[in-house]
Amino acid sequence: MNRRNGPRAPRDGLNTIGRPMRKVDGLAKATGRARYTDDIRLPGMLHGKILRSPHPHARIVAIDTSRAEALAGVHAVVTGRDMPTAYGIIPWTPDEYPLCVDKVRYIGDGVAAVAAVDEDTAIAALDLIDVTYEELPAYLDPHEAIATEAGPYIHEPRKPGWNGNVTKVVKLEFGDVDGGLEDADIVVENDYFFEGTTHTPIEPHCAIGLAEGNGKLTVWSATQVPHYLHRELARVLDVDPAKVRVIQPPVGGAFGGKSEPFDLEFCVAKLSMMTGRPVKILYTREEVFYAHRGRHPFHMRYRTGATREGMLTSVDAEIVLDGGAYASFGLVTTYYSGQLLTAPYQMPAYRFHSTRAYTNKPACGPKRGHGSVQPRFAIEVQLDRIAECLSIDPIELRRRNFIGSHTRTVNDLRVTSNGFLECLEEVERASGWKRKYRRLPYGRGVGVAGSTYITGTNYPIYPNEMPQSGVQLQVDRSGRVAVFSGASEIGQGVDSMVAYVVAEELGVPLEHIRVLAGDTDFTPVDLGAYSSRVTFMLGNACIEASRKLKAKVQEAVAEAWEAKPREVLLAGGWAVRAGDTGTSMPLREAFNLAETKFGTLGATGSYNTPKDVHGSYRGATIGASPAYSFTAHVAEVEVDPETGFVTVDKIWIAHDCGRALNPVLVAGQMEGSAYMGFAEAIMEEQIFKSANQGREGLHNAPSLLDYRIPTSLDTPALESLIVESIDPEGPYGAKEAGEGPLHPSIPAIANAIYDAVGVRMDALPFSPPRVWRALQAPDGGRWAPGRAKEVVGVGGSQ
Amino acid sequence: MLRLPPFRYHRPGTVEEAISLLARFGEDALPIAGGTDLMPNMKHRLFTPAHVVSLNGIAAMRGIGAVNGPPPASGNGRVSRAADRHLRIGALETLADVSRHPLVRHHLTGLADAAGLVAGPQLRNMGTIGGNVCLDTRCTYYNQTEFWRDALGYCLKKDGTVCHVTRVGRKCVAAHSADTPPNLIALDAMLTLAGPDGTREITAADFFVTDGIWNTRRARDEILTEIRIPIVERRRSAYRKLRQRHSIDFPLLSVAVVADFADDETVAGLAGVVSALGARPRVLAGWGEMAAGERLSGDLIEALAGRAWSQCRPLDNIIVDPEWRRAMVPVYVRRALGEVAGGGGLREGAGE
Amino acid sequence: MEVVRLRVNGDERVCGVPAHYTLLETLRYGLGLTGSKQGCDKGDCGACTVIVDGRAILSCITPVWEAEGREVRTVEGLANGTETHPVQDEFDLNGAAQCGFCTPGILCSSVALLDGNQSPTREEIRKALAGNLCRCTGYEKIYDAVEAAAARLGP
Repeated sequence: MNRRNGPRAPRDGLNTIGRPMRKVDGLAKATGRARYTDDIRLPGMLHGKILRSPHPHARIVAIDTSRAEALAGVHAVVTGRDMPTAYGIIPWTPDEYPLCVDKVRYIGDGVAAVAAVDEDTAIAALDLIDVTYEELPAYLDPHEAIATEAGPYIHEPRKPGWNGNVTKVVKLEFGDVDGGLEDADIVVENDYFFEGTTHTPIEPHCAIGLAEGNGKLTVWSATQVPHYLHRELARVLDVDPAKVRVIQPPVGGAFGGKSEPFDLEFCVAKLSMMTGRPVKILYTREEVFYAHRGRHPFHMRYRTGATREGMLTSVDAEIVLDGGAYASFGLVTTYYSGQLLTAPYQMPAYRFHSTRAYTNKPACGPKRGHGSVQPRFAIEVQLDRIAECLSIDPIELRRRNFIGSHTRTVNDLRVTSNGFLECLEEVERASGWKRKYRRLPYGRGVGVAGSTYITGTNYPIYPNEMPQSGVQLQVDRSGRVAVFSGASEIGQGVDSMVAYVVAEELGVPLEHIRVLAGDTDFTPVDLGAYSSRVTFMLGNACIEASRKLKAKVQEAVAEAWEAKPREVLLAGGWAVRAGDTGTSMPLREAFNLAETKFGTLGATGSYNTPKDVHGSYRGATIGASPAYSFTAHVAEVEVDPETGFVTVDKIWIAHDCGRALNPVLVAGQMEGSAYMGFAEAIMEEQIFKSANQGREGLHNAPSLLDYRIPTSLDTPALESLIVESIDPEGPYGAKEAGEGPLHPSIPAIANAIYDAVGVRMDALPFSPPRVWRALQAPDGGRWAPGRAKEVVGVGGSQ
Repeated sequence: MLRLPPFRYHRPGTVEEAISLLARFGEDALPIAGGTDLMPNMKHRLFTPAHVVSLNGIAAMRGIGAVNGPPPASGNGRVSRAADRHLRIGALETLADVSRHPLVRHHLTGLADAAGLVAGPQLRNMGTIGGNVCLDTRCTYYNQTEFWRDALGYCLKKDGTVCHVTRVGRKCVAAHSADTPPNLIALDAMLTLAGPDGTREITAADFFVTDGIWNTRRARDEILTEIRIPIVERRRSAYRKLRQRHSIDFPLLSVAVVADFADDETVAGLAGVVSALGARPRVLAGWGEMAAGERLSGDLIEALAGRAWSQCRPLDNIIVDPEWRRAMVPVYVRRALGEVAGGGGLREGAGE
Repeated sequence: MEVVRLRVNGDERVCGVPAHYTLLETLRYGLGLTGSKQGCDKGDCGACTVIVDGRAILSCITPVWEAEGREVRTVEGLANGTETHPVQDEFDLNGAAQCGFCTPGILCSSVALLDGNQSPTREEIRKALAGNLCRCTGYEKIYDAVEAAAARLGP
């Protein structure tokens, strides 16, 4: 088990942390007992369905629900007018409604919802709802959306004279960018395109609403943000938040696709409030594609300057984000598109100018590696081009530009631990890089790329200074410790992580720990499973709570032993006196002593971010994180030059996660991330029909047959190399592993394709037709060092 | 969840009972075997039969075995040598069983490969060879949900009046997308259809027509009951399937070749079939003449591949770059021919 | 409603269902066997995989009537009484289930494989699982788990 690991940090006397361990929910998931939202069936439950717009952009002139209401078995019909409060996950951009009120903005936008005795009746009722639309011109291309001078815009401009097709513009400059480009010995300039992709969790979204007569409202949902859902349900439905309860059952995959409220959650709640009966809505797979909130398509232009030695002098980026119909997290995405790119390489000067456009397509949002996966692709291919032009090994080039640890980036983000050099070393060694790079026969190649990612965001989504994560422990007289955790288990293993921490701190055997999570009625607030925040934040909160509890136990036991509290060690289910193994008692007795002394035993812990980790300019807080992870990948590919097929044989993934609290789970996150990056690189694309393809804005193929995600036979071998830099502020030194390791897959594969056949793939995905076309181009197909047409100027005087 | 439309399920025990049920309910009935094509199509409301007639209880439609004598009627003569034996495959045999059967693997390499490359493992455990032969044609504008097709405005093949692929044509160009038929055609297979008036035989080549709405000569109240394939000595066959994933996907292009060799390894007969282009698999013209009496050399293979390319024009019925698909025709033909030239045999991973 | 008689995980079950129910709907909503999952609606993802007469099939596109008279095995029936199947235990040990939603289907495909082949190669495991999409793991840990289970089951 877990035979493939990188070098590990010293264990520092840890007992549980750092060892391969079972997950607390592993057996439930392996036996089919884990109960996901759609596995729940409440007595008297009705089934809901949502009517969706067949138009990409249209005004709703009238809705007549009377025929649907008259159908036998239909209990309620709801439309946008019944829930007219706008919401949005980012409080500054509330631009959507549970169901459309006046306008529909993409094919699939929700218009009305029905609750009926069964799904078939609900579906039949949708056909009986008469909606009169007035079609409007649709925008599919973000450049056209931005360029338009008059309406009708997709959204009302927020100020008169503004463009209602623009969500956000961010322009930030650090250092002397133009000077840096002028002083550079080499400047490479290229356009890149990152196609949109979607999360595709295997579990479709599902929610159940239950309004009880006493005003209490409970919503079960496959969400990764129960706290935000709690707030928005109360606000939009005008219910006292103290009467709202959100329960998050195990979630069957999310990847960012369930990290904001969706129409079905409001609809089940409202329909239950109207009928007094529980109501369930389960999306079809097609609806999951319409809900989307996936990777934004990015149109990017990069200018990168470097010295002859390969040292970066300046980076200049111009980015247009294709946002789809709603803002979602788009304000943050627009910042992230630039803010998260200033490590692991030193950049003396950096500028980015990012514009997010609205288009009449399903809204884009956060997908694993939110905001930085697309520009990371461009930056790492730029570096490969520079290395090529300067005849420097690309790993060496990256080493030379290493930003270092315990430093600040050009945009003033505080970086603490940084294991990037070790990551480079690991992939260089494990992949046999030196034997392979530029030495493999035509058709085979290797490529390298690096990246960084945040470990949580420094600020919550809505402004407040309360902790970002909280946890509560409660001890039973049996010796059982209950952990009440507000965090969301979405498969990443957070419930297990908190159990490992408590086991480590209190010495309790894992099987004596119960993790009770995902229920806003009995857990403290945690902001949700997004931005790679939970291990760092909840882990620290858990350590704090455990240590408070431990101190009480130590004090009580010390009293009994007439020893000092620090002499009482808790480990392996026992309290033991330091230096005297003959003096010991089972933990249960120790807990009982503590309860006798202090009363009912419990403790809380919380975590909030340090506030001095970023600059003071407008936007400086976005991208700030208490710690950053670092990753390097080497990909080895085989390109069939006749067909354009790219077979990725293997990806070596070296990732600095700070400390691996459980190396099996960390490796699982690394492999899952690399897989997802590979998938985006080679095959995935969330695309839409044009007007001459039958219907403008119609999703190209909303099914798992035609939106192709890799099968076992497509996925490369993945080797995890864990690097532990031991972060000073992370729990036991841990940072993140769930998102960072996705980033380098894509540019590493692009760079490997170049090494294999000498073509640059600057637009995703690198599907066979695209690679084949690149190889057919007049200059496609052979390495040509120095040919590099992207060199627009070689200046400098020596 | 996507729901099936309501229907009644019938489980006859004999071919005769099945046919009489189909005859009785007429347009309101459809036969089902593995269901792997019909069930998704029904969930998409492409078919909404009030009666579904299961063939799975009909024992006479099972079995794989060698039979002495040629198939019941002669083939179309493209392949030179007469067969004194043939293989009978009951239409209900699953694709998994066909792909693994020793006789199929030994004599009909291309067919075994093709059956083993259909979709994924579970689907091959369910889907039958008869169902694969009768697979409905596919198109990006057709294999979609009711909601999606409504937003589109429907299409010629189902509920609409426009073909969104050709935009002008009045003929449906949905693509024949089954893996086994190109092989059956190249192998001169005979299909047995049972209907209200008894049984009839039809060659696999004649079975398909160019109408994407209903691309076979099977009447709606007929059932494909069995397939008979000549067993010919010194015959080698190969199948190549173009698809983007190594599993699950339908073909973007498929190539089946069958070659008969004389004792001196010169070609005695050669057939090639390309599919996933339009509604009917395309039998490559002029191949037999080009190859007869020649060795299957690199130059000859190149010439045959060029000839194939000139006859094949993929359309936008599948949402993958048609120019690329066309460019892949000679590549895949060459690879399939290379395999039979090199001795054939069952290999791993015949699909790309 | 019509009455369907199924043999599921060794139990004879009688259940009233609409005639157009799939096997998956019957298991989940008729019999309360919610271990088998619905992911794609129509046979594209493998989450609904169950074992019928020893073979892995897709229950979301199987009319329930086709399961009558046959032996249906779901994830709930893989354990031998109180003893989990080795492949279940190895999934737990190897971290092969992250979100766990594809897991029941993958377990069924794996058990169908191991019942017929006690020492599959990694390549044979990859092929046997080529109809089960997993979005979390990148498959490596799943292969590890199936290999380890095979080693425990092996001769």
